[in-house]
Amino acid sequence: MSILANKDTYVVIQGGVAGVNAARRMAEFCYLIKRSLNVLAFVYPPDAGKTHEIPYGSGLVAVPIYKTVAEATKHHPQINTSLVYIGADRAMKGGMEALDDTHIKVVSMITEGVPEKDAKILGAHARKLGKVFNGPSSIGIVSAGSCRLGVIGGAFDNLVLSKLYREGSFGVITKSGGLSNEIIWICSQFADGITTAIGIGGDAYPGTDYVSYLEMFENDPQTKAVVIVGEMGGDLEERAAEWYGAKKRRVKLMAVVSGFCQESLPKGMKFGHAGAKEGLKGEGSARSKSDALKKSGAIVPATFGALGPAIKEAYQELLKSGQVKEPVEPASLPKLPKSIEAAMKADEVMVTPLIRTTISDDRGDEPCYDGYPASELINKGYEIPHVVGLLWDKRLISKQEAEIIKRIMMLSADHGPCVSGALGTIIAACAGIGLSQSVAAGLIMIGPRFGGAVTDAGRFFKHAVDNKMTVDEFLTYMKKNHGPVPGIGHRVKSLRNPDKRVKELVGYVKSLPIKTPCLDFALEVEKVTAVKKDNLILNVDGTMAAVLVDIGFPVDSLNGFFILSRTIGLIGHWVDQKRQDSRLIRLFDYLVNYAAPKRREVPPLK
Amino acid sequence: MAKVLEGPGMGLMKKWGINVPNYVVVTSVDELTKLGQANEWLKKSKLVAKAHEALGSRFKLGLVKIDLDFKAAEAATKEMIGRQVGSITVTQVIVSEMISHKEEYYCAVKSTREGSEILVANCGGIEVESNWERVKRLCLEIGQAPSADALEKLSKEAGFTGPLIKKMAEFAGKMFACFDSEDAQYLEVNPVVTRASDGELVALDAVTLLDGDAKFRHPDWNFAFAAEFGRAYSKQEEEVMAVDSKIKGSVKFIEIPGGDTAMLPAGGGASVYYSDAVVARGGKLANYAEYSGDPPDWAVEVLTEKVCSLPGIKNIIVGGAIANFTDVVKTFGGIINGFRKAKSEGKLKGVKIWVRRGGPREKEGLDAMRALKDEGFDISVFDRNTPLTDIVDKALQK
Repeated sequence: MSILANKDTYVVIQGGVAGVNAARRMAEFCYLIKRSLNVLAFVYPPDAGKTHEIPYGSGLVAVPIYKTVAEATKHHPQINTSLVYIGADRAMKGGMEALDDTHIKVVSMITEGVPEKDAKILGAHARKLGKVFNGPSSIGIVSAGSCRLGVIGGAFDNLVLSKLYREGSFGVITKSGGLSNEIIWICSQFADGITTAIGIGGDAYPGTDYVSYLEMFENDPQTKAVVIVGEMGGDLEERAAEWYGAKKRRVKLMAVVSGFCQESLPKGMKFGHAGAKEGLKGEGSARSKSDALKKSGAIVPATFGALGPAIKEAYQELLKSGQVKEPVEPASLPKLPKSIEAAMKADEVMVTPLIRTTISDDRGDEPCYDGYPASELINKGYEIPHVVGLLWDKRLISKQEAEIIKRIMMLSADHGPCVSGALGTIIAACAGIGLSQSVAAGLIMIGPRFGGAVTDAGRFFKHAVDNKMTVDEFLTYMKKNHGPVPGIGHRVKSLRNPDKRVKELVGYVKSLPIKTPCLDFALEVEKVTAVKKDNLILNVDGTMAAVLVDIGFPVDSLNGFFILSRTIGLIGHWVDQKRQDSRLIRLFDYLVNYAAPKRREVPPLK
Repeated sequence: MAKVLEGPGMGLMKKWGINVPNYVVVTSVDELTKLGQANEWLKKSKLVAKAHEALGSRFKLGLVKIDLDFKAAEAATKEMIGRQVGSITVTQVIVSEMISHKEEYYCAVKSTREGSEILVANCGGIEVESNWERVKRLCLEIGQAPSADALEKLSKEAGFTGPLIKKMAEFAGKMFACFDSEDAQYLEVNPVVTRASDGELVALDAVTLLDGDAKFRHPDWNFAFAAEFGRAYSKQEEEVMAVDSKIKGSVKFIEIPGGDTAMLPAGGGASVYYSDAVVARGGKLANYAEYSGDPPDWAVEVLTEKVCSLPGIKNIIVGGAIANFTDVVKTFGGIINGFRKAKSEGKLKGVKIWVRRGGPREKEGLDAMRALKDEGFDISVFDRNTPLTDIVDKALQK
């Protein structure tokens, strides 16, 4: 048997994230002892109507969320226990709501920092109704082999190590949440484990005190001894001593109390839990508590470390007197399925990756580009073109190459509102479309006729140079196999009205001490084509392409330089329209040549 | 529990109808001089000037001056402001009207498990402490307010007679109203005096402890809480408090000058058992510290830096029970970063580190600690199989 929580305990959790985490822990325990999840509902008004998916074994259980406790118990009348994970400022209201629900018999409050007055009101209200209000600041309640309320017991491995899958003979009552697992563990190593362990919370006035729980343990035949982990402050330990000393008790009482260090600290210096405050005249000190407990006949080891051996001694006596038998351990226990990550770490599974990347990794504390941490690149003076080099061509380009890329980007960032890309973005912006979609509207214009000739220009110039073609051979080859030469020709610019961007870029690159076979070849091509027709000049796409091939960028990445640069302009156009609060535009009729058939009658449908 | 200095404490009492002397709290003589022009009572009455700080034995330190005229009060203020007492610098002085009186009484309200208790005595000042049996009590359950009859009965029991029965009953009633409405944990007025001028009961000195957890429903608590142990918080302590107020979970740090055993344990419960073990072993605590509730690693790192910076330490106890949900790897990560930083700053020379811990991801966390040995730390690491406080025994073995 156990007290407070057992196989018939069904739970509603009031609160948000912390409550969901607790439910996960509770599901692990339910899985260990092979019972279905005992959390039937959540109450959290902002998410009412939805569900929380709680992992159970390798599956998921959907637990509904309600607006009120009454709704939860109406749909799940088996609910008899509530766990309160609501913030301190609203905890009392939530606790009252649970206490006032006729289905609910036990309310355990996990919230810390609840005003003392509120805790007292909740405690008094529960007593009046004959219910249990546990906490505030409770770590939870666990009955071995039957029920876990809250995160008490810790991780799954600890549940197994502490033998919480089956009953023992020791009850535990502790103010400290952090020490609850320690005591449970000690009981399982030095004796046969626990029946029920209760965290009553470290506040000055917990809703339910040691005595109430001692009475319950006294009436639970499975519990043979109770361990109390006390703290200085208040008088709960003294009251427990009084209870124990009042008459012969069936259960053995064992206790430790902390706070002896207080005696050798500067006056008035206190620490530990909220309740750990000494009374005015030495009452509530660790010594007065431990003396009272000893006087009542309880076993009080001198230190926390001596608690294990004391529990062992008590257990051996129980064994000898035949009151308890050595426990039988189950042949096997369910293993908690591992997450893929954990199983991979333990070399237990092999996974075929879905994608493969060779350029970047942000799993550490910052992104690495081709292995170089971004911050180190910044600190060592590298710039955006270097990042382009690393991510597009997996190499750290030189200062000179970076300067060329920078200039290319500056020259092609924008070309006014009339070109296809900008116009697409502007029309979208005027239609009230968002930034990324409007920019995408402009970007999809980039193709064979607008901006997208860089890659092809590069490919063919490179082909010519690699195959040592003469200009004539090249032009013949193009005419025969592909058509017009990409990168040659401009709609408005011509020999007499040259493109300044081309002049600028060619001038700069030629001034550098680098070899530029593609660019040289492209300029030779221009000499021939421009003679044939005035506007068949080397355009900016062709120039960029030749230069980029010359400095080693792969042909397939070349359009990227135009896309990247022009994105700057497209964003500019979107922001510009937005700033002006531009209105929806449509094409004027006079800009359309209506060449469709004149209006005519629709023939009858056949 | 949160202690409130006299000024704001009297302010709260005044709010609930309790007579208090006129008073002003000033931070400079100029301020007092200006207030003197606006408040006639300062010029007309005899005055008391006290250092308005969380200091014990102010009388002995000469930080209480009585029976002053305004000029003398200005002189006293000038003298007190800026005075250094231990770690505290006096920054405020409270100047109040001196109430001439003959009899002194006592009244307090304190929190009990069931609700509260009203205490009344017909003696006051130091007399009440030596005659504690003369203090009479009225116990109240939570949610229950004292009736006028019950208060008069209490007043009579305490030995008040004649018109004072009703006056004391009313005074105690207002004290209860203040206690109950202001989420107080302890209110004490000693002495309560009869004002010679009009025969009304007046609160001459106030001890006010409020429930800091209830601050969210008291927007008019516009005062800072005072340190509770007779000294101001140090800069290091304040820095940890600032971190604590920002995070999920908590980190706590209090310095204890002169100690040589530094504490860096987890959990509000275990941390005190660790401190007990140090004292039981004859060690001298250099601090109290605690991290709990799965705090972020950076907060634990800040705490670790403070612990490593304590002067004259020989051992650091990184203790902890088997955690429920505090991630051992993550929190230890913060501690390890703190240790590394301290070492790189030349700290931790000759300091032995002792670790014991269990909980979620304990193996990985403890392995990470063990690995510090290779970096030249003097560190010993134990798992759940070593009883909680045994590392203290090992550390302090002679």
